[in-house]
Amino acid sequence: MDLVLMLSRIQFGATAAFHIIFPMMSIGLALYLFVMECMWLKTGKQEYYQQLRFWLKIFTLSFAIGVASGIPMAFQFGMSWAAFSNAAGSFFGNIIGFETTIAFTLETASLGIMIFGWKYVSRTVHLIANGLTFFAATLSAFWIIAANSWMQIPEGTHMDLVTGKIIVDNYWQAIFNSGTMTSYLHTLLAAVTATLFLVAGVSAWAILRENKTREKVQFFINSIKYAIVVALIAAPVQVIFGDILGVIVAKHQPAKFAAMELHYDTNAQGQGAPWSLFALPNKDNNGTSFAWPSIPNALSIVTTKTMTGEVKGLNDFATNEKPTAIESALTYYSSRIMILIGFAMVAIALVALYYWRRGKLEVDTIENHKGFLRFFVWMIPLGFIAVEMGWMAREIGRQPYMIYHNLTIAQSLSSNLNAGIIIFLIVAIVAIYIALFSLLVHFIRRITEKGPDFNATI
Amino acid sequence: MNDFITLATSGAHIPLLPIVWFAIIGIELALYILLDGGNLGIGILSLLPQKEDNRSLMLHVVGPIWDANETWLLVAAGSLFGAFPAVYAIGLNALFVPAIVIAVGIILRAGSFAFFEFSEMKSLWTKVFGVGSLLVAIGHGLLFGGLLSGIKIVDGHFGGGAFDFLTPFTLLFTIGLFFAYVVLGYSALIGKIDYALQVETFPRILGASVVTFLALLTATFVLPNMSYIFMTAWTAAPTSYLLYLIAGAIFMTSVILGYNAIAKKNPEQMHFFAMLIFVLGYAGMVVGLFPYIVPPAVTIFDVASPDSTLKFMLYGIGPILPIVFAYNWYLHKVFGSNFAHNKEGEGY
Ligand code: HDD
Ligand code: HEM
Ligand code: HEM
Repeated sequence: MDLVLMLSRIQFGATAAFHIIFPMMSIGLALYLFVMECMWLKTGKQEYYQQLRFWLKIFTLSFAIGVASGIPMAFQFGMSWAAFSNAAGSFFGNIIGFETTIAFTLETASLGIMIFGWKYVSRTVHLIANGLTFFAATLSAFWIIAANSWMQIPEGTHMDLVTGKIIVDNYWQAIFNSGTMTSYLHTLLAAVTATLFLVAGVSAWAILRENKTREKVQFFINSIKYAIVVALIAAPVQVIFGDILGVIVAKHQPAKFAAMELHYDTNAQGQGAPWSLFALPNKDNNGTSFAWPSIPNALSIVTTKTMTGEVKGLNDFATNEKPTAIESALTYYSSRIMILIGFAMVAIALVALYYWRRGKLEVDTIENHKGFLRFFVWMIPLGFIAVEMGWMAREIGRQPYMIYHNLTIAQSLSSNLNAGIIIFLIVAIVAIYIALFSLLVHFIRRITEKGPDFNATI
Repeated sequence: MNDFITLATSGAHIPLLPIVWFAIIGIELALYILLDGGNLGIGILSLLPQKEDNRSLMLHVVGPIWDANETWLLVAAGSLFGAFPAVYAIGLNALFVPAIVIAVGIILRAGSFAFFEFSEMKSLWTKVFGVGSLLVAIGHGLLFGGLLSGIKIVDGHFGGGAFDFLTPFTLLFTIGLFFAYVVLGYSALIGKIDYALQVETFPRILGASVVTFLALLTATFVLPNMSYIFMTAWTAAPTSYLLYLIAGAIFMTSVILGYNAIAKKNPEQMHFFAMLIFVLGYAGMVVGLFPYIVPPAVTIFDVASPDSTLKFMLYGIGPILPIVFAYNWYLHKVFGSNFAHNKEGEGY
């Protein structure tokens, strides 16, 4: 493959993979904060107010890094994928324009009031600002998912073959294409579950620290409990939406779906397609060199909800319409890891509920369950790994297309790019991102170590 | 909506929607440069030797508003992407390097705000804030200067090299814009903190203004010699009259501002006059550019999205913009001068 193309893909993938962590955190924490502020104003209890103040600090950090990493994302569409931006701008750019004008402006303004406005606005205005921050975060996610979903399933538009430009035939269909709403809800749920595991893990870490007061332990136990309650609902629903999303992919991007399953040979009539957990493509990319454990009929059941429904295999697609062997393997493993994590989250939430019901999550008993706490600390990255994996599967699995069946990535590239500059950019950006990430972890530790300010007045 | 206006004299049709969008993007960008320009100026000023307290105060003043201000860049970029995709594409393709400079600057600035609040090494983060602002300001100069210098287009794609943007015009423009931001920053601070009390303040403002003026004036004369289209466009009516008018207004405002600065009068009005000059200069640029959007060959009519898109975007964004103006105004009101004077318990 062309060096500049490969570098540009790495550059985009790396910046996107970093950026997505923070919107996910922001959406999840914004919801948490909004619920806490509502509870506070409803019950008047200090406890909710402290939850609000404490997690708002972490939210501030994640939001700032979301902004910092989002700007390069927006620029990159023009910098690296000029041909794509030029061809698709009349729809794709329009949607990005909606995101910035409708969502980002609202989000940044309301957040300013939420963080700095305590002494300057009334409680009602503050609550409204909090609600709007959450609303705007989900709105910006909606527009970006709509744009991305349209690249995956470009309905409601056609490519004008003379000008090489995308023409919109039906805005409604293009924005609400067959994938948009399912992807959107799956993504929002991902934000919520991933963030709850973060909240629970950070709280567990705080309880494990040496210098603590009863008050502080109680505070963080409460955080863990709130997280568990919501995770118990969100995690199973997440699995269901993942399943629906899989069926949509099978219908609209069958080559990607086959890659997600490393499914090479279309199953013969009357025979079910098997499902595996570990597999590798062979050298010729026309079959697997090993697949384990091969569960008979499972793939047919998951995809078509029948025992022997047909699932088209990778061998039935032309080489220039499906991902390469490496891309297929990456797609396969990333979707496997995501799905495993999906089920693991349900299981972990249930185990936590068991501990809670058994009275093990109380100020006096928690000390005897250090293992439980340590386990939750280790689970902090869990949801975010699933998010990364889901996006890898989605974006790598759609290769070689940029806009499915309309434009390939090779056709999307900017012209006259300089490989040296791209390498410099990748190195610089990765270095900056590692620094930002380390600082974020450092400051979250410090803020948590200090704990909430129990004397804070409004 | 009537998609065409008819020129009385020639009867030729001029598509209206691209002009509407050119104007909207022009306003969005103006707001961005005006609002964020002041913040950037403050950031650059924080690099000058002074008391550490002053620097913290600067971050404190900019803290609640920089993000909302910066969002205007994204708003303008998003509108440009939708309305004139080729400009977004070819422009950023050609201006890859300035875009990196801006992005890195923005990252540093965002990081400095986030970490300053929680860090014990405050002076480190005020420095990062300054350096980030510096990079963004220089990046702006390189980006807009590069665009105005002209972009080589072959077969509808960018056809030049990665460093084509580095022309004498770009350098002059960068210097001019840089010092313009410094003036804006000064004048914004004067209203908010007791910067006006310092002895060196006024001479510095004067110096920065003079450099801005000279650099941009020279740039204005360099440009038509670089691309011939400006020569013809600027000397033809009605553009030429408009340009004279704007130049006259800039001159008058500068005289008033200069008099106030020397006589140390009316520091509160300083911000207003500085912004006025800025807006006038910007308007001059837009008038001089129209209808070109990527000089020397591409006009807004060549690269506008189909009318269906421009209309749909207008319905989507048009009604929202006034609302956005309203809550931005509210934000600036809440965090106006009384916020700057209250250093205690500001948030988090
Ligand atoms: C906490 C995060 C998380 C968890 C637990 C899951 N997912 Fe997921 N998944 C995502 C987070 C995610 C995501 C990052 O949000 C993606 C990427 C793109 C998207 O829309 O959502 C995604 C994409 C995604 C796709 C690809 C869509 C496409 O290519 O267009 C499929 C088929 C699934 N998921 C299926 C599942 C299943 C069957 C799961 C559980 C058993 C599951 N996901 C759990
Ligand atoms: C934020 C979460 C996302 C992640 C982690 C992600 C990940 C990736 C990765 C890994 C690639 C490289 C694929 C390859 O080269 O094989 C890629 C490519 C790309 N993605 Fe995403 N993506 C994300 C969201 C989006 C969204 C929301 C959009 C559009 C609105 C988008 C547009 C693109 C484009 C334009 C490319 C480059 C062309 C290509 O390689 O196909 N991505 N992304
Ligand atoms: C891959 C394409 C993407 C691009 C071009 C992009 C662009 C941006 C930009 C420019 C910002 C900064 C906005 C500000 O100043 O407030 C930002 C922040 C944000 N982005 Fe993205 N983004 C992408 C992917 C995503 C995805 C997949 C999501 C949703 C799940 C998302 C959701 C957000 C949110 C909620 C913010 C607000 C900041 C925050 O909460 O951290 N973005 N994005």
